[in-house]
Amino acid sequence: MNFKEIIKITLNLVMVFLFAGVILALVYAKAEPQITLNKKVEKENALKALIPAAANITSMGTYQPLEDKTAHYYKAVDAKGNVLGYIAGSYSKGYSSILHMLVAVGTDMRVKAIKILDEGETPGLGDDIHKKYFDDRFKGKSLDQLVVVKDVDPTKIQAITGATISSKACTKGVRAGVKFIMKQYGVGGQTTGAMGNAAAACPPAAGSGSNQPLKGVK
Amino acid sequence: MSAAQKISYFGLIRNGIFGENPVFRVALSLCPAVAVTNTLKSGLLMGVAVFFVQVMANISISIVRKLIHARIRLPAYILIIGTWVTVANLLLAAYEWPIYKEIGLYVELIVAFAIILSRAELFASKNEVVPSLFDGLGMGLGFMFALGAISFVRELLGNGALMGYHVVNTHPVLLFALPMGGFFAVGLLMGFFNWIDIRFFGGHGASGAGH
Repeated sequence: MNFKEIIKITLNLVMVFLFAGVILALVYAKAEPQITLNKKVEKENALKALIPAAANITSMGTYQPLEDKTAHYYKAVDAKGNVLGYIAGSYSKGYSSILHMLVAVGTDMRVKAIKILDEGETPGLGDDIHKKYFDDRFKGKSLDQLVVVKDVDPTKIQAITGATISSKACTKGVRAGVKFIMKQYGVGGQTTGAMGNAAAACPPAAGSGSNQPLKGVK
Repeated sequence: MSAAQKISYFGLIRNGIFGENPVFRVALSLCPAVAVTNTLKSGLLMGVAVFFVQVMANISISIVRKLIHARIRLPAYILIIGTWVTVANLLLAAYEWPIYKEIGLYVELIVAFAIILSRAELFASKNEVVPSLFDGLGMGLGFMFALGAISFVRELLGNGALMGYHVVNTHPVLLFALPMGGFFAVGLLMGFFNWIDIRFFGGHGASGAGH
């Protein structure tokens, strides 16, 4: 390779880098504000969709549903200032990803609705956790009913066929959120364990959860 | 590919869809053909993203083909492809947020799709801009067609649904929703298209990686 070739190769690469850089800079400048907006709107819509009657949803602070994961929790009030419920962000470890979700809890400490914000579970199987039919299974459940079962059981959480691990992980996240809200706002204010352990205290297998003592709640 | 220069533009597009279909005939880019084809929607959306990248990459590589030194042509091509993939990714995130949420993860992987680099090296680097454009259109459509066909079979058999709507009310064959079902679907369809080729067009079928 002679000197001329080296110069040519260098110029080639510089040219390609320059063009690529200019194109990317232009597209990025145009797309970035829109992307940020999309993310913000998505979060706001998700919060609003969970408690549609709420006039105002404000962040009350943060807690740790998983180690090194910090989630916000919110209080939803109507126009007169009555508390309608609470929303806790929550994380849990799934089959192939960390699930990020929002859990809406009513003042009766039962789940109102859940919303999966982010997951990377097996497409076509585990990622069904963000579908309505599965999320609806959480509606109206209290903490001791948040247990995954494999049979049809409307009082528990029926696992998705072929995606038991994702179903369990999702339920674990919901439990962490409900537990935290109960601890903060529940009647009697439970005092078991540090809040960081909320997720770790969940049952490892289906069925064992109902055996956990639930002292002092309600 | 030297004969390609004499083929009409329509012939180039036909070549991409049937003659040298990226997945069924040339057997390239089988990874995405298995990874993102468990539902028809994600299969088709991925096809659209690849179509865009293939066309843009073919055009830009054809434009710069005489300026690029042979020794660094591959890094230069990858860089050009990567640029267009990033553009596609950013545009999707900005203007088609719901779609981006579905396939965003896979779009970034288009950089490494063998079919795009293969067309850059085999066609765009040796041909004028306009034929390269049509080759890109043909290959993009061929890829979209392949992903559409595979995901059609897989969603129908694996979930009993199409585009997320239930169409058959039987117990689905779970196998087809899983990655290994993707290999089955690709293999069966590849055999089917080979059969058509041999039976009706007097061809010899694809041998895979025909170059």
